[in-house]
Amino acid sequence: MNALQRISPVGLSGTPLKTEARDHWQVVLEYQDEGQGPYLVDLSHRNRLDLQSSDLASKKPFGMTVPDIPGRSLMDKGILANRMNRTQVSLYHLDGERPDLPAEPEYTDVTEATLFIALIGAPVFSICEKLTALDFMAPDRQPPFLYQGPFAHVPCQMVTLNRDAAQAGLVLTCSRGYGRDMIHAIMGAGEEFGLRPAGESRFTQWFQSL
Amino acid sequence: MALTITCPICGPRNGYEFRYGGEEKGPRPEENNLTPEAWCDYVHLNECVAGVQQEWWFHRDGCGAWFTIFRDTTTNLQTEQPEASQ
Amino acid sequence: MMNRFDHLPTLKIDGNTKIPFEYKGKEYFGVQGDTVATALYANGVRMFARSLKYHRPRGLYSLDGECSNTLMEVDGIPNVRTENTLLKSGMVIKEQNVKGSAAYDLLGFLDKLDWAMPAGFYYHTMHKPAMIWPLAMRQIRKAAGIGKLAPDFQMPGTYDEIYPTADVCVLGGGPAGMSAALAAAEQGLRVILMEARPWLGGHFDYRTAAYKDGQTLHDRAAQLAGEVEKADNIRVFTHTSMVGAYNNNLITGFQIGQDADPFDERYFEIRATAVVVATGCIERALIFDNNERPGVMQANCALRLANTYGLLPGSKAIFSVGHDLGLEAALTLHDLGLAVACIADVREDGQDEGLLTALRERGITVIRGWVAARAHGKQVKKATLTSIDGTATQTLDCDLLVASAGLTPVTGALTVAQAKLRYDNHTGYFLPTELPANMHAAGRMLGLDSGPAIEASGRQAGLQAARDCGTDVDAAIRAVRTEREHLSGPARGTKFVTAPVKGRKSFICFDEDTTIKNVKQAIDKGFDVPELIKRFSGAGLGPGQGGIPGHNLPLYTAKYQALSDITIRPTTVRPPLVPTRIATYAGAQHTMFKQTPMDAMQRRDGGIFRNIGVWQRARYFSEDFTCQAEIENVRKNAGMLDGSTLGKFRIHGPDALKALQRVYVSDMAKVKAGRVKYSAMCNDDGCVIDDGVVVKLADNDYYLTTSTARAGQTVEWVRYHTRYDGWDFALVNLTDSLGVINLSGPNAREVLAKVVDIEVTNEAFGFAEYKEFKIREAIPVRAMRLGFVGELSYELHVPSSYMQSVWIMLKEAGKEFTIRNFGVEAQNVLRMEKGHIILGQESEQRTNLLDVGLGFLWDRHNAAAKKVGAVALRQAESDPSRLKLVGFKMENNGRAPRDGAVIVDQAIRGYVCTARDSFTLKEAVGMALVDADLAKVGTRLAFFEDECDGKLIYGEVVKMPFYDPKGKRMKM
Repeated sequence: MNALQRISPVGLSGTPLKTEARDHWQVVLEYQDEGQGPYLVDLSHRNRLDLQSSDLASKKPFGMTVPDIPGRSLMDKGILANRMNRTQVSLYHLDGERPDLPAEPEYTDVTEATLFIALIGAPVFSICEKLTALDFMAPDRQPPFLYQGPFAHVPCQMVTLNRDAAQAGLVLTCSRGYGRDMIHAIMGAGEEFGLRPAGESRFTQWFQSL
Repeated sequence: MALTITCPICGPRNGYEFRYGGEEKGPRPEENNLTPEAWCDYVHLNECVAGVQQEWWFHRDGCGAWFTIFRDTTTNLQTEQPEASQ
Repeated sequence: MMNRFDHLPTLKIDGNTKIPFEYKGKEYFGVQGDTVATALYANGVRMFARSLKYHRPRGLYSLDGECSNTLMEVDGIPNVRTENTLLKSGMVIKEQNVKGSAAYDLLGFLDKLDWAMPAGFYYHTMHKPAMIWPLAMRQIRKAAGIGKLAPDFQMPGTYDEIYPTADVCVLGGGPAGMSAALAAAEQGLRVILMEARPWLGGHFDYRTAAYKDGQTLHDRAAQLAGEVEKADNIRVFTHTSMVGAYNNNLITGFQIGQDADPFDERYFEIRATAVVVATGCIERALIFDNNERPGVMQANCALRLANTYGLLPGSKAIFSVGHDLGLEAALTLHDLGLAVACIADVREDGQDEGLLTALRERGITVIRGWVAARAHGKQVKKATLTSIDGTATQTLDCDLLVASAGLTPVTGALTVAQAKLRYDNHTGYFLPTELPANMHAAGRMLGLDSGPAIEASGRQAGLQAARDCGTDVDAAIRAVRTEREHLSGPARGTKFVTAPVKGRKSFICFDEDTTIKNVKQAIDKGFDVPELIKRFSGAGLGPGQGGIPGHNLPLYTAKYQALSDITIRPTTVRPPLVPTRIATYAGAQHTMFKQTPMDAMQRRDGGIFRNIGVWQRARYFSEDFTCQAEIENVRKNAGMLDGSTLGKFRIHGPDALKALQRVYVSDMAKVKAGRVKYSAMCNDDGCVIDDGVVVKLADNDYYLTTSTARAGQTVEWVRYHTRYDGWDFALVNLTDSLGVINLSGPNAREVLAKVVDIEVTNEAFGFAEYKEFKIREAIPVRAMRLGFVGELSYELHVPSSYMQSVWIMLKEAGKEFTIRNFGVEAQNVLRMEKGHIILGQESEQRTNLLDVGLGFLWDRHNAAAKKVGAVALRQAESDPSRLKLVGFKMENNGRAPRDGAVIVDQAIRGYVCTARDSFTLKEAVGMALVDADLAKVGTRLAFFEDECDGKLIYGEVVKMPFYDPKGKRMKM
């Protein structure tokens, strides 16, 4: 009998050096020759949840408070909560133990609905400006903050986690089906900046340094 | 071309991110005793003003909100309020 | 190859670095920094191309692409603007629009036939008798247009796109633009500076005249450029042309890549808070006979050939100018070795005394109030000058005629942004009177002439732009205003003067071969404003975008009609202001399609994919597009279809049921747990837009599917139709979250039983039932028993990441039954045989729920729910004029008509939705929408197909479904 295997929508061209089996995912921890950055890291195996309620203020996903204003994000113990609109929050699991889906019906597991990647490294916003008109350097925004808008012409959620040159990086989700073309577009836009696929460890290391 | 629409949640964005939802006409009429003509007018008749109109937009590529704005149809520019109050 | 100057401070070439290129099959050399046009000029090429209509020889006239004279084919790409294209090693350059060569064009005789081609000749010739038009059309089409493109031409090169953000966008990198950028940047704002030329500096850059305090204009330009470079918050994009300006200061343009750039061209889109337009001036063309012959060129073109490219433009020149820049050019070029035979200046007075003195000292004659009347020779050999009143003339030898009527502002950026222009008597310019919000004009385009005044105006505009961005700069603006009071204001401009000639060969528009005579003809016919003249005579329609006729046309129109005031405005220019490649607009991201989780595996299995909406789907699994094997395997055995594109949603929250009641036509309160409910959605016209199934997960918690095409609009649709109600419900789009495997065929149960642990007998898992279970205790599956293809069928909704695993399990389980893939086309035939509809196939925009026979879904007694479409359906019920969906089979075992074929008698009575030669039924059957009176079983239908040449084929209305009418197979 074949072993169960979960397939990520993100196919990267690098050669995996270290991998780890996790919940039927083959998570690449490190690729050969990851270069000096910028990096593209596939996080599609990390959980994402949708929380919708007319009374978001009373919701405490994993004990955290949800951001009060749409467009704002909050980070707590490896969970990123992004206020999408009046009634909706997206939750990304970025680091630490995988959280279970809360029992309340307001939560939906949407891990499988999207692809999830991180772009990290100094020139990531130069890559982004080739793919979207959204202004990641807007002075009236303070990281972490959420943008919902087109990226490579596809609707995405983008959360800027840091925009200082030394630690710049963001995470991005879009419909899973766009996996091939979205990665192609980003790798193409990033080619001139030396964008390379990198393993999850690169992301975790960066995330923990923030 | 080049409509800029201010989404109440996401701020000013390229008009291509949105879908137009028609003029603001108020809620659906009650169906009891509704004449076919009155229904047709509600669905299909538009004011088509040359000036400021209130209209619906959906932030399709963004936050997914339906909202109304006031737009001057002669300039394609969004205004803060209806013409009468200007 | 001509010798280059190598000692001028203004040079932009490196004369020591030779660059080889091919022209007309021979190798030539240019130097580093050359444009294609200057390299050709350096190699003695004077005739670059032939004109559009008369095939007149054309040469280098300008250097910024004002006209199409120097459009050529470069590396197989037609209509390349050689004036603006830097020479690259190995370029292959060809002439275009010539039969023969630019120098000896067999179509050159057309120039003599101008009498036969007056303005608008194609509107009033060749339409009587009508039969000559097809003949004439073929000839005209052959002759029309410039540049040739093969139908299978693939645009070479790498194209990119960029959407940079700026607070202030400055158009034009001349002194005013640089000053504006610096002023805005000093306020801490993010500034973008766009410049079409390869370098900053504008008209300062190529001039060595004095700026002030002993500094030359060129040195001043270098100083400003240095400051701009030092400012961290100014992003400079050179080689970047602005092509459009739209509402809310959206600026578009494109950049031409240089050797170090990873692109050949890249599209630009900038949304700036404020814009400064500092696009400066071009020269207004001087109008006289043969004013576009090779050898005639603009003053700045002659001057820049020398100062920028190190080329002496000729050996003996005559100047006919109307601006001090012309005198400055004559002086500079004389000092570089050009013999200046004579300067005619249309101005009676007002010249710069210093320049006049300097010219006098050099023994150069300046005749004031004179103008060129005619250039002689295919390539200029002589020129006739005349006094403006025409009383005196003289003809002199020359090989270069520098001709310029004066300056005129480049207002394209303003007019595309909807600014209003008005003629200004003092400057002789069309100046902006009303600018859009947050847009400012600055510099030479406002008529300013002195360097410091131009810069101060730029600074002021930069500060005003900064104020638009919310910075407090009022004091600084006041200071600049005060400063400007002490600087010279707009200079008196040159009045519009034309040579006293009839104008039969005086060209007002080079691109379209429009002469003064043509303009007169247009006005005499009543086309008396530039917008009409442009359309009737073609003036300003060419690739130069009105660069040559621009402001001459309204000025001439006013003059010819003896208008006392110039109220006439220039024609409206439109984007793209600069010819832009479609490939550049297309940019980098050409395809953004969605793939299902089974994409790769299905491709390996021989799937032939098609783009269907936002998705790519496997339509066939063999080259046999009738899909016989796929279909028969489903009917007799078992097949697997990837249905992952189906829309899937969760709706939950206290008012979820209310929302469903609004958008679905059925009574959704009757949806039972564990059962699958099929229903449809209509629009407000009762027209059916979507169908799918709904499953109840818990109270006010449902899982629903939509058609592939509607998935993207479902959230929007439900929210739209409930937007006034304030209901509390949540929608989650799970379309991509779950893949769908449609396992169908008589052996489907056996296959499934081997993979799942639940009971799958007909009793345990019956038709229209819904189950949730786990495969191998890990994979959560939602399963439905449906029968779209008319066979025993299971629809498994599987988390996308597990799809391949489950697919492989089923494939292995089905090996003994030779299970195989089937694609979208096979499904299409299977379901058609079963009489199941696909919306969009059996329906179009006007088809309502009742037309397609789905009226039974409608819960007509629930007015309180205000179901979308209900009011219109109630009306349509009694409407006899509606089409009905019917099944038909073909007569005499004939073939099926094509989808979309129309059904006719004396009129069009309906059309074919789907029809196929059915292998299952061994006859051709299909579904059609027909007028109600044709819907009766037994009615003969006549089918008319495209290009059937009147040969109709016939069929007969029969009962549906064609296959398994009792529905036993899907319930077995």
